[in-house]
Parts: sequence; structure tokens; C-alpha cells
Amino acid sequence: MPSIVRIPTPLRTLTGGNDEVSANGDTLTAVLTDLEANYPGIKDRLLDEKGVRRFVNIFVGDEDVRFLGGLSTPIKDGDKISIVPAIAGG
Amino acid sequence: MNGVSGVSGVSGVSGGSSESVLVVGAGGVAHPALIALASAGVGRIVVCDDDKVERSNLHRQILFSEADVGDPKLDAVAERLAVIAAPGVVIETRATRFLPSTALDLLEGISVVLDACDNFATRFLVADAAHRAGVASVHGAAVRWTATAMASSAAGKPCYRCLFEDLPEGDAPDCATAGVTGPVCGIAGGLAADLCLRILRGGPLPYGIVTTYDGLTDHLRVVRVRPRPGCELCAEGATLPDLAAHRYAGPACEA
Repeated sequence: MPSIVRIPTPLRTLTGGNDEVSANGDTLTAVLTDLEANYPGIKDRLLDEKGVRRFVNIFVGDEDVRFLGGLSTPIKDGDKISIVPAIAGG
Repeated sequence: MNGVSGVSGVSGVSGGSSESVLVVGAGGVAHPALIALASAGVGRIVVCDDDKVERSNLHRQILFSEADVGDPKLDAVAERLAVIAAPGVVIETRATRFLPSTALDLLEGISVVLDACDNFATRFLVADAAHRAGVASVHGAAVRWTATAMASSAAGKPCYRCLFEDLPEGDAPDCATAGVTGPVCGIAGGLAADLCLRILRGGPLPYGIVTTYDGLTDHLRVVRVRPRPGCELCAEGATLPDLAAHRYAGPACEA
């Protein structure tokens, strides 16, 4: 079973409106590469030349990947990956 | 404390001036938060904003009505809260923005700052200034169909910068383009007020988590924030921010 990636509203135009998609890969990098293959353009919204863009936070379960292994974070089948962009509106 | 019914404010009793909350902004997230805090009897509530009411505000800035359009927001806020507030609650208004030049004055004597503004620059300034002043902070935000809230302790660890580091580079769509729905403003304000009351009145400490509500899927998600090694605000050895104006120029509400 692949991992499940929760897509925030601003990125759903890239995933055909889906708020949850599945992805294959045993590291976060591999998962993002798989997402890009299915939803072109999504990787650029999440990564820059330094890694995960600083205004995007990626969680595996409820743990920020910064504290797990960054882009090398191991991903198991069934893991739930959340993408949480910064919001400032009020 | 003997549970919810024993918490002052639920029965309309003011917590006194030892409880003081500064609400930054009088927009969509602020209104439901202000209603909740005033009704709960938070002893002193200070609101800062310098905007006028616009017709497009009315669907989400629920203290306002058509008759207020064109007037300073704080006039209507003060008038409506005076009716709603529990006995003994003091409502103060400051017709100013939260700026590098006004931040520390506004935080004087404040227990918790509730950041309900509409732009990243001010949010980072609230985080930095609250850390400098030793004040707990709550950030409530909403855009499109998403509401989110997080709290940082007076010791400030983890903090807003642990999660979002610094202002985004380049352009970002602003709320006038992105829009926001009324109900998610209500939820963001409610979440933020809940965090404020927990900080003021005890209960499980609300620090180190980000709560996000998705109004399109009804998913409520809670994720953990940890102190980020190397965080320029709260990491070991970090120097106190100098609140220089040039550090807080940036785009509006969404990255």
C-alpha cells in the first residue's frame, strides 16, 4: 500500500482537485518524485534548491520531517504525509 | 480549579486585570475571538487596528453591520463588545498598526498577544516582539477554506519561526485575491480564543502544536512543532531580535 499525501487547498489545482492522493516511494524524496510524475509542477511548489521551501512544512504522521530526516525521511506503506503551507490571512 | 464550570468567565465573572490580551487586528479572525474572550470575562482586552470598515468585510467581520461602513473599525468593535462583554471586562482600543515602532509599547502589561492580522510581516513581528517582551503569543489565520492556529509560550520555544523561518521571497497572492470564507474565520478565531483561554486559565499547555481546519473536507488536523535547531528566534544562543523595520517588509497573506 502506498503512502497517502494530504494536499492543501493551494496545490489542489495540480492534483485535479483531490485533497488526498497516494504516492509510492520509500523516502520523502522518492515520494515527491512520484508525485511530480503524476502531478507535474507540484515538486517545484514544495522544493527549492535548498530543500523543502521554508514556507511549506511537510509532516509524516504528526512529525515535522525536519526532525525526522528531511528529504531522506523514510516512508513506509500507509504513512500519512501532510503538506502544511504557511497562512497569514486574517 | 474544578473543571469547566469552575473556570471564571464561563459564568460571566471577570478574571480581573491580571488577565490581559492584546488582539492585533480587527478583521475576520479577530471578531469571533474578541466575542469569545469578552464573553468569557478576560479582564482587559486591547485591540489595535487603523482600518475603516468596508462592505466586503461584513460577511466575516461579524461585529459590524452596514451602518458601520466607512467608520473606523475600532469604534464599532468597542461599542459592540461593551454590550457583549462580561461584567468587569475592560475593552481598550489603540488606533495604530502593530509596527516595529509600536510593538513593545502595545505589549506592555499584556499576558497574551493574539495575532489576528492579515500579513506575514506583522506575524513575524508579533512573534519576535512577544519573544522579546516575554509574552505568550497565539497566531490565528484563515484564507480560502482553511483555518489554523498555534500558540507559543512566553519563553517562546517552539516559536512561529521554528515553523516558518522568515518572510517569503517574491510575490504571493493576497487575501483580496485569495479570499476567505466567513465560517473558517469563525473557526480560526474560536481556535485562537481557545488557546488564549488555556494559556490564561490553565489546562493542558497548548504549545508546540498547529491545528488546521479544512473547510472543504471537514478535516481537523493537529501536527506537532518542535523547537528548530538554529531557529534565529528561540534556539540556544539566539540573540534578541532588534525589531528593525527593514526585517518586516513582505507580501500579504499566503505563501
